[in-house]
Amino acid sequence: MSTGMSNSMSDGMSSGAGVQSDQARITAHKVGKWFGEVIAVNNCSVSVGSGVVGLLGANGAGKSTLFKMLAGLIEPSQGEVHVFGRRLRDEVGWFRKVGFCPESEALPEWMTGREFLSLSLRLMGFDKGEVNRRVDYWLARFELTDAQHRRLGGYSKGMRQKLKLAQALGHDPEVIFLDEPLNGMDPVSRKQSIDLVRELGEAGRTVLVSSHILPEVESMTSQIILIDRGRVLAEGSVTEIRDKIPEHPTTVALASPDPRRLAGFLIGQDNVLSVGLDPEQKVVVKTDHAIGFYRALPGWILANDLQVEEILTLDDSLEAVFDYLTQN
Amino acid sequence: MSETTVEKVNPAGQAQTLVTPLPNLTAMLWIAWFSLREMSRRKRIISLGAINLLPVIVVVIIRVWFPDQGVTAHMQLSALTHEVFIGFLIPVVAIAVGVSAIGEQVEEGTIVYLWTRPVRRRAIYMGRLVAAQTVATLLLSASLILCFLVMLSNGLGVISWDFLVLYFRTFLIIALGAFSYAALFAAMGTFLKKPVVPAILFTFVWESLVSEVPARVQELSLRFHLQNLVARPEAPVEDLPSVLGALLATALQRDPVPKLQSVAVLLVVMVAAMGVGIWRLRLKEIEK
Repeated sequence: MSTGMSNSMSDGMSSGAGVQSDQARITAHKVGKWFGEVIAVNNCSVSVGSGVVGLLGANGAGKSTLFKMLAGLIEPSQGEVHVFGRRLRDEVGWFRKVGFCPESEALPEWMTGREFLSLSLRLMGFDKGEVNRRVDYWLARFELTDAQHRRLGGYSKGMRQKLKLAQALGHDPEVIFLDEPLNGMDPVSRKQSIDLVRELGEAGRTVLVSSHILPEVESMTSQIILIDRGRVLAEGSVTEIRDKIPEHPTTVALASPDPRRLAGFLIGQDNVLSVGLDPEQKVVVKTDHAIGFYRALPGWILANDLQVEEILTLDDSLEAVFDYLTQN
Repeated sequence: MSETTVEKVNPAGQAQTLVTPLPNLTAMLWIAWFSLREMSRRKRIISLGAINLLPVIVVVIIRVWFPDQGVTAHMQLSALTHEVFIGFLIPVVAIAVGVSAIGEQVEEGTIVYLWTRPVRRRAIYMGRLVAAQTVATLLLSASLILCFLVMLSNGLGVISWDFLVLYFRTFLIIALGAFSYAALFAAMGTFLKKPVVPAILFTFVWESLVSEVPARVQELSLRFHLQNLVARPEAPVEDLPSVLGALLATALQRDPVPKLQSVAVLLVVMVAAMGVGIWRLRLKEIEK
């Protein structure tokens, strides 16, 4: 369902970010946004289905603007954005199915945590009993029960972050926008929140996570949309995207008791560009099609009685992909 | 769960769920209720409460230092309403709660928590505005009640039927003033990033000057129309303290305008300001 990239920089880099179901829930078609003469987002098209998708980009890349456009909080200067095929700004009823956790730390300081969550759920149309049940559940889930009657002005950064997540998830939305959701959280809360996001993705929800911290996103998903200087650079799984960067072949290290035999075999195989040995006598393979290489490798090993003890991909991390793409 | 959904079968025979926004009135009341609680806890409420003691202090001074000067409760109330409430307190309180009602939320970014609910923006605007108007009216009313209690300390003899009518009419005028000014300043808050200074200039320059200009020019100020609604006090006796006498003399120098016209002008301004504010909020985008 992915519409793929919309600009020359990203040609061929799309493998359909996050579209793990047949139905794209969030779509943007050639959207752009400019503020005066500053172009924040330029001609971007994305399509997101169920599962967790990371929206990645450096500060100032246009990530936040695109994110807010997708959530219906900013009107595009050009193009169209739809969630469930609707324009959220015009059809606000569809916010019943949408959760949004903003990056901004601002909260209504003079409300208590309980009041804040209650209002959020009241406005979703729940009755009093259901509001109380859900408020109790989410306060307990984020360990905020003891602080529920404290004013938000007295909440720590981590507590605010958890409350923001609770209000985004409290009504059980199908599409969830999380903008830098782990900011200020302690390690335990961070881990719990990552697990929660993954659970939501596995349950078929659409979770779009915006972040500039790559390991954070990597821990939640391998599906990404990469944005740089207002343009979508790549969209899809990290490995697939990595495979489509011809200037930087993927480097794979193989540990074997007989590295010379393994290296000799691999020379000339499909998808293998070069083979060498590193100082630790590991076979270092450069491949221009890592997925094809990984698919073929077990067959080669079995058919030729090769021995491989360990396989390491040296540069297909999200960080490497990000670096390669943004450098280019 | 009382979610409002409508099941509809589309032409392809596939079930489709149409999700409706929360009814405007329900949304408005919930937002107003929670906003009222939030606004009533803000620190600025304490300073506003202190400023609202001003008319009470005036009444106490008259009660303590000029008990036998012939300044009746009726006269005190008229003069206070004209000059202190309408000329100063109502706009000041309305500025404090009005400009921040919506503009501040947009500026801070907290409006996002209302914008991402199935609630139309007009309901959000009205909910916040009604809360601000209620807070302003309650503060001003509390001040008026305290004035009444101080006047009563002179004995129940101060209460006449005319005085009671004037007193309750004053409540209504104060409420109308608070609602009109707050609506105006709330709309101003949706236009300007820093609306407090323009609001103060409007109140103490435009309103002060224009309301004093004779003929129809004075009708261009809200202050004039509010003062026009206040019952004329009896003519002061000759030995009145000079300041109070001067205030009353100023208050009496008005070109007559039908009271109904003044009420209509105030209501029109309020409704127009609401309309403009709602329109502005519809166009707003989140900045943070």
